[in-house]
This record gives sequence, structure tokens and C-alpha cells, in this order.
Amino acid sequence: MTESATTTMPATSTARSTRNSSIVFDNVTKTYPGQTAHALDSLSIEVRSGELVCLVGPSGGGKTTALQLVNRLVDLSSGEIRIGDTNIMDLSPIELRRTIGYAIQQSGLFPHYTVAENIATVPTILKWDRKRIEARTKELLELVGLTPVENWLKRYPGQLSGGQQQRVGIARALAADPPVMLMDEPFGALDPITRVAVQDEFLDIHRAVGKTTLFVTHDIDEAIKMADRIAILKPGGLLAQYDTPAEVLARPADDFVAEFLGAERGLKRLALTTVAEVLAAGRDRRGSSPVAAAAGSTEAGNPVSAAEWPEVSATMTLREALSLVSAAHAQGARVMDAGSHLGDVTLHELICPPADDPARTTEGARI
Amino acid sequence: MDVLVGAFPFMTANFALLLEKTGEHLVISLIPLLAAIVVGVPLGVWLGHIHKGEFLAVSITNIGRALPSLALIAILIGIVGIGMLNAMIALFLLAFPPILSYAFQAVDSVDADLTKAARGMGLAPMQVLTKVELPLGLPMIISGIRTAAVLTVSSATIATIAGSGGLGDVILNQVAYGMEGVIAAALWVAVLAILVDQVFVLLLKIASPAGVKHLQRAAVAA
Ligand SMILES: Nc1ncnc2c1ncn2[C@@H]1O[C@H](COP(=O)(O)OP(=O)(O)O)[C@@H](O)[C@H]1O
Ligand SMILES: [Mg+2]
Repeated sequence: MTESATTTMPATSTARSTRNSSIVFDNVTKTYPGQTAHALDSLSIEVRSGELVCLVGPSGGGKTTALQLVNRLVDLSSGEIRIGDTNIMDLSPIELRRTIGYAIQQSGLFPHYTVAENIATVPTILKWDRKRIEARTKELLELVGLTPVENWLKRYPGQLSGGQQQRVGIARALAADPPVMLMDEPFGALDPITRVAVQDEFLDIHRAVGKTTLFVTHDIDEAIKMADRIAILKPGGLLAQYDTPAEVLARPADDFVAEFLGAERGLKRLALTTVAEVLAAGRDRRGSSPVAAAAGSTEAGNPVSAAEWPEVSATMTLREALSLVSAAHAQGARVMDAGSHLGDVTLHELICPPADDPARTTEGARI
Repeated sequence: MDVLVGAFPFMTANFALLLEKTGEHLVISLIPLLAAIVVGVPLGVWLGHIHKGEFLAVSITNIGRALPSLALIAILIGIVGIGMLNAMIALFLLAFPPILSYAFQAVDSVDADLTKAARGMGLAPMQVLTKVELPLGLPMIISGIRTAAVLTVSSATIATIAGSGGLGDVILNQVAYGMEGVIAAALWVAVLAILVDQVFVLLLKIASPAGVKHLQRAAVAA
């Protein structure tokens, strides 16, 4: 994540850490006792400070194992894992875990604890004073969007929806402001609509607090949407590819990755770029009059004239815009932002975005 | 019917006797019960916490279940001999299996995702036990104690054979007290067993953290 990301989040004590909090896997192998196959095979990756890396792959690919090696719920067979400059074996497991936020599927909330008590779990064992815990709990509930906080503090997990439970799970993981977060399919049990909402919120939070995050998911679309970089594991715990979503989609390392990305790989790529970015790139290429360029196009058989092209918002992804353009049988779209007409994009620009340039990040698509 | 009705005048006429026998009865049943709790709950909880000894906890219970308590008491008295202490040892051995196995199951069966989340957040093993496993296992631990309590109080009647005193003295002595007396004392034992059972229900209510009470209400409502 960029250091310049601004925040509107109430993240006063969830400040960005300037310390090195990268997670480094150095030739890490795990073989469970009594098994011949490796669960994880010579994994070497670095999750940079503040970066969000998604670990994807088929079930049994070693994703959970990789995650639990970091907080020592699982013991290394060989290799080394470092957080910042510290080898994880130099700390006691308990010390280590208290510096790592941990969120899992089904939230793992304690059903006999209220929302407030759940969030306060780690601060309580760290013996923070009551006032500080109370303030922190409220701050976190605001951060995850459960407001007004008074309505949520005293509820039990059983009285919350899946999405609300997951938000509390994230708040609990963030409670002691750990520099590193491990998340194991945290949104795996949510319905599609709730899932998208919680993903969006989590990305906002991630941008605001800048925790180094290792995020396991079996859902490649979730990884494309969330990740700065994606690590794809194959069965046997072998790393197939480790790169940005754009690069993985544009150039899958092998047949396994290509198949894992699916037949819609080309379309998925379009979800990484916003209409605004295409518009800006088009202006760069053609000078300041993209409308004339598009309208004057000599392409054959425009069934709908440029003036009647469908309107798309600048923040839409190309995939969304393309869907509208296709539905309207048009050759392009009018880009609108808060009621004003910013310019037009052509069908050609929508399906051949400038995102092939690996230097471009996926930041824009996340807004 | 007449004897059943006659049981109530017997109770009023022999109230002092019944009270005295009740006192003895409680002593010979509650002391072994408490001893079984003191040994069985920590042992079962600890085995459940480390997820070991399922075989021990379960097979002990199965032996306890397979043998009728009457036979068990008779056998145990046959083994340990006559006398109040021996009767109590027999009752202890009767109360121990359900307490141990319920306590084991209570902790062993706590959702592994929850204990993993707890450990993953940095709770020490003892904190996982006291903050997660014990509260969530408490209702089941108490269930085991209640089962043992009813078993002990009712079986203490038979322990009279070992010469321990208690309400069994009346129930097993129809010659002296008549059918009315036998039935009166039997009813008395039944009520006593229910009362002791309810004491532990009350204890659960008092001892439960708010969250455990909430879960129990939710379970009832569902
Ligand atoms: N505790 C364990 N004991 C033995 N084998 C395990 C254990 N946990 C996972 N495995 C095995 O290791 C492999 C990787 O599992 P896992 O890391 O859970 O994969 P994923 O999270 O990608 O589904 C699988 O073959 C699984 O069966
Ligand atoms: Mg997994």
C-alpha cells in the first residue's frame, strides 16, 4: 500500500506503523507427522510492510498451513519465517501471537462473550486499564461500521448477522493494534452481497491502518479484488506464481494458474481498471478532445450515436461499464461524475485498457 | 391405595425419626458425591483440555452404565466390606464415572475453531481453559454432577445393607415400620433426590457468567 493513502477513519491509535513489519517465508516446508506429501513445499515469499497479499489455491493446497506457521499454531518442518527482523522462533508462541491479529472463517467469536468482551479479549489479557479498553472498543466498532456503538457493545454474537459477526471478528483482530494480520477465509461463509460489502469495508480499513496482511481465500475473484499481490499455491504446497493481480491475469505462469483463473480471465482483468483511468490515458494519447476522436470514429455501423451512449460513472470498473455498453448495443459510453459529463470512452478503449502495463497498480479499481 | 395414603400420617407421626434418618442419608450420600466432584471435575476437565484419555473417561462410564446401580453397590460392598466408610466408598465409585465423563466431554467438545482462535490470539493454555473451555463446558459439567447426585442419593438407600444408616434403615425394615413406613421413606428419598438435583440447577444459575446464561436462554428459545 502507498504511504500517502489518506484516511477518514477514526484511526487515532491505529496509526500506520513505520517499523518494518514484513512477513518473510524463507524456504519454508511443512510435512505433517505421519504424512509423506508436503503440506507446504519450499515456500519463499515476502509480504512487504503494509502490503495485502492473498494466498489462493485449491482446497488442501496448504494455505491454512502457511498462515498457521506464521503464528506458530503449526510448527515448521524446515526453513525460516521472519516478521520484520525477528525470527518467529526467537519469541515464545504466546508473545508472538499477541503481536499478530488473527481472524478466521465463521469469525471464531466467543458465543458467551458480548461484542465488547470479544473485542477486548487481547487488551484484557495485556492488562490494559478499563478506560483504555473501553475507548479502543468503541473506536474499533466505528472503524468496522457498527454504529452507533452503544447498540452493539452489549450484544452477543448469536444476535448478529454473519456480516456483522465478521466485522466484529476484524475489530477483535485489530484490538491491540498488531502490525501484522493473518486472515483465514474470513469472508468464506458470507452470502455474495454481504461479502462484497464486507470486502469493501475491509479494504477501506486496510488502507487506513496499513497492516501487513496475509489473507487466505479459495476465491480468486476475492483475491483479484483485494490483493496487492497474489500467491497461488498448487496441491502439494508448491508456489505456482506470486505477482500482482494484473500480472497474474495477463501472464499466468503455467497451465495450472491459467485454469485456476478460469475462462473469464480476460474479463476479470477488466475489473482491475476504472473508467476514470481509461479516460485519463485516452486524453494523454489523443490530446484533450477525446469526444471528437470517439464521435468522429469511422468504425462501421454505429447503431447508437455517441450522444445516446449509456452513461457510466467514472468509478466503475471496465467490466461493469462494458456490461452496460453491451446491453445498450452501443460503441462506447459517456463518463459521468456527480452529474457532469467528463468525456467519452469507446468500446475499443474499454476492452483494451492500458492496464497491461505492469507498472500500473490496481489502486484505482478499489475506490 | 390405603398404604399410600397411610404413608402421610406415618410421616407426621415419625417426623423426628425421618429427620434423623435423612441427616444420616445426606451424610452418606453427599460426602462421596463431593469427593467425586473434587476428584472427577478437575481430572475430566484437564483430560478434556488436552484432548486425551477419551478411552478412560468413556469406558469408565460404560461400565457404570452397564451395571445397575443396585448390583454395583452390592458388588462394591462385597469387595470393600461392611460399614459406613465402606458404604461411602461404594457410593463414591458410583458417583465418579458420570462426573468424570461429563466433565471430559464438556471441555473436549468445545468447538475447536474457538479454542484455535483463542490460542491464535495469544491466550495461554490456562486462559483458554478459564475464558473459553470452562464457561462453555459449565452446563455439561453440572449435568454430570446432577446425574451423579440423583444416583448417589437414591443408591444410598441400598448402602444401608452395609450398615451405614440412612433412610434405607426404614425402607428395608418393613417388619418394624410397616408398609406405610416403607412407602413414606421411599417417597422421602425421591423428594430428597429431586431437591439435591435442584440445588445444583440453582448452583448453575448462580455460578454461570452472564454470557453462559444468555446461551442457555437462547438454547431454550430455539
Ligand atoms: N493437522 C493436520 N494433520 C495432518 N495433515 C494436515 C493437518 N492440517 C492439514 N493437513 C494436510 O495438509 C494439507 C494442506 O492443508 P491446509 O493447509 O489446510 O490446506 P488449505 O487451507 O489450502 O485447504 C492437506 O493435505 C491437509 O490434509
Ligand atoms: Mg484452509
